[in-house]
Amino acid sequence: MNRMQTTYAVSLRKWFRVYGTLFAGILIILCFSLLSPDSFATVDNVINISRQISFLVIISLGATLVMAVGEFDLSIGAMASLGGVVAAKLAVAGQPMWLCILIPLVVSVVIGYINGWIITKFKVLSFITTLGMGTVLGGITFWLTDGATIFENIPDSFRYLGQKMWFTVPILSFIMLFLTIVFWYIMSHTAFGRKLYAIGGNESASRNAGVAVAQNKNLAFAFCALLAALAGILMASRLGSAQPTSGDGLFLPAYAAAFLGMTSFKEGVPNIWGTFVGAAIIGILANGLTMLEVPSFLQDVVTGCIVIVAVILQKIGRDAS
Amino acid sequence: MLQVKQLDKRFGHHYALLGVSLDIKDGEIHALVGENGAGKSTLIKILTGIYSSDGGNILLHDKKIEITEPKVARKIGIQVVHQDRQLINSFTGYENLFLGLTYPTYKVGFKIRWKAMKQKAEQLKTNLGISLDLGKLAEHMTPSEKTMLEIMRAAMLDCRLLILDEPTAALNDEESELLFDLINKLVAKGTSILYVSHRMNEILRLSHRVTVMRNGKVAGTYFTKDMSKEKLVQLMTDQTTAANKHIKRSVNSSKLDVLQLEGVSSFDQKVQDVSLHVKQGEIVGIFGLAGSGRTELLETIYGTRKIRNGKLVIKGRNITSFSPKKSLSRGVILIPEDRRADGLILNMSVRENMTLSTLPKFSSIFRMKKKKEQAVVHTWMGKLQVKAVSQEQPITELSGGNQQKVVFAKALLSDPILFLCDEPTQAVDVMTREEIHRLLIEQAKKDAAVLLVSSDVQEVLDIADRIYVLHEGKTVAEFPNKAVTSEQILQVCYNQRKQSDVINE
Repeated sequence: MNRMQTTYAVSLRKWFRVYGTLFAGILIILCFSLLSPDSFATVDNVINISRQISFLVIISLGATLVMAVGEFDLSIGAMASLGGVVAAKLAVAGQPMWLCILIPLVVSVVIGYINGWIITKFKVLSFITTLGMGTVLGGITFWLTDGATIFENIPDSFRYLGQKMWFTVPILSFIMLFLTIVFWYIMSHTAFGRKLYAIGGNESASRNAGVAVAQNKNLAFAFCALLAALAGILMASRLGSAQPTSGDGLFLPAYAAAFLGMTSFKEGVPNIWGTFVGAAIIGILANGLTMLEVPSFLQDVVTGCIVIVAVILQKIGRDAS
Repeated sequence: MLQVKQLDKRFGHHYALLGVSLDIKDGEIHALVGENGAGKSTLIKILTGIYSSDGGNILLHDKKIEITEPKVARKIGIQVVHQDRQLINSFTGYENLFLGLTYPTYKVGFKIRWKAMKQKAEQLKTNLGISLDLGKLAEHMTPSEKTMLEIMRAAMLDCRLLILDEPTAALNDEESELLFDLINKLVAKGTSILYVSHRMNEILRLSHRVTVMRNGKVAGTYFTKDMSKEKLVQLMTDQTTAANKHIKRSVNSSKLDVLQLEGVSSFDQKVQDVSLHVKQGEIVGIFGLAGSGRTELLETIYGTRKIRNGKLVIKGRNITSFSPKKSLSRGVILIPEDRRADGLILNMSVRENMTLSTLPKFSSIFRMKKKKEQAVVHTWMGKLQVKAVSQEQPITELSGGNQQKVVFAKALLSDPILFLCDEPTQAVDVMTREEIHRLLIEQAKKDAAVLLVSSDVQEVLDIADRIYVLHEGKTVAEFPNKAVTSEQILQVCYNQRKQSDVINE
């Protein structure tokens, strides 16, 4: 009997470690539902939230990839801004829609690959390198826009992806879900994903096992930049305008989401669904607190505290095991 | 002065030290010799308070003492200079010298009295007759200057017993001479020295008495003047257990060379001008003392260490571009020495670790073939008798021996023609050791070639068909494994004399 109790306690603790964050998310939803029942727990608001978090989820997926290989990309905010600005400029210049999206995406892949190449070729810290790259990209964005928001003469077609619905669900939400599933599949069901996790787990052992460490890292950075630029383009499309600093606000929450994600499902390892849950929690908090008319500066305080608590809980959980 | 009586130290069920007794007199240079794993380091660690003993006493001037932590050792006057220098590179000599000591400060405020520090340091320097620019940063110092600095640091404190662990390992001949002068000066002042070294010539020249350790026990303490190199090596290698277990296998001389090295040097010169060859179906052992470039040689062949010049031929093909990935595609696999650092992905499962080298076998561009992967992993876990709850168990939860089996399974999955094994049985249990040996012999029977590096002579003698001895990055001898004894091999290693010995004799 006693032994059964202990195993029960152990499995409960394990369950909590793996699903604790998800559980906390549900708890937050319940709280908001009780506090503002008329506005929070409505179909409209759920749809609204899914649209609000779409940019964050998409950019966080990229952050998750570079974190999986044990690196950071601090240029994703600037990359998103640049993506949005380039797309908007092309749209204003009257280019067809597909080209307005494709060109910034291609540019982002090249920049991401360069990020990776510098880091793997010269064996320098990704932290510093991408911080530098972010500054460079920020400068280019300002040069392209003269520091002003692009909003005049933007054709309606540019707003399609960001503002239209399919079957009463925003296209943005579809894109977000689609990409989450695609990257979950890549990370957990392909050899590429396995290699990324192996590199993050032990670079030297991966190299000895014949994994092309540099090449795979470069690809992770390229994917990361691609997703950041896409988030920026979609955000410009949603707003119908492109600000030279629009991506800045996404950068920190993206890593917060990825870190929160490390506390769920695959413990201690950056993982796609964990990141999705992390981004959702951050989004739901923002939404619910706004409804409760909590000032935005206080929202930042709450979000920041939650991230810190999450990493502490994860550390405690791991030490206990 | 210091007496060690019946000291025991256990790690699990294994005795690292058993009934070790030793005494060191005032002003004596006492040498400590023994093979790798004989227990020298363990003894030093107990004397300096890093380990605690499981039995026995330590007496200082006939008074029983308990060395519970490094601080205590320092306080009672036992100082140690480790083989790997423990200096802060970005600090100057002065700053390193006062590291861990109370800095002299002004009475008011906390400003350090740099002048007083310098004076004290300079005075010590004159006392010991050292010429060294203490204003230099440690990172700009030569290995010799660093050693001097460490000894000075020891002398800053009350230094009654100075333990020197392989102090000449990184020094050239002239620098060693300077060190010997310094040692003699310290001894003249009454300091006792415990001198640990692999270099027989130094020991014979410098020490008053020598204690030989073997398998965690003291084989005896002798007056150095009664000793010779040959006698010491004989004492170090235990002849009684050295029954050669080698099962003679005839390697067909018509077999082709799988690996040929001609004058291979690594970029950092850790490997210098090595020539060797390994035939199909042959197990070739490489033996060398610590720092002889054993690991570096395998890394150079595998492509993780840059090659400077020389010719490397694998199966008749001249190899010009190197990387682990390319090596694997040529059928060459490395079993690294440190499996946790270089062999395994610790946050992954048994299955994920086992298939990492051969992912293309289990995947198309779009997906992993999970079923096939699981089936193959299941088969190999059975073949090598890997003890794990399931193939999804995290690799860290397995014992060392079972982890190593997973490393081997990973290697075998890639159907290698050449195994580069670096200490393949390090930190594994006896059973697994036997299993790994059997496995390598089996692979050799199937015409694979094995290049085996080991710091354990017995292991090399047990399974190798031919043996190379490595010294300072060079191959210095080659033996067919017939009638060769561990003593002969060790003689070769220890007899590698330095230039100064030749001149002095």
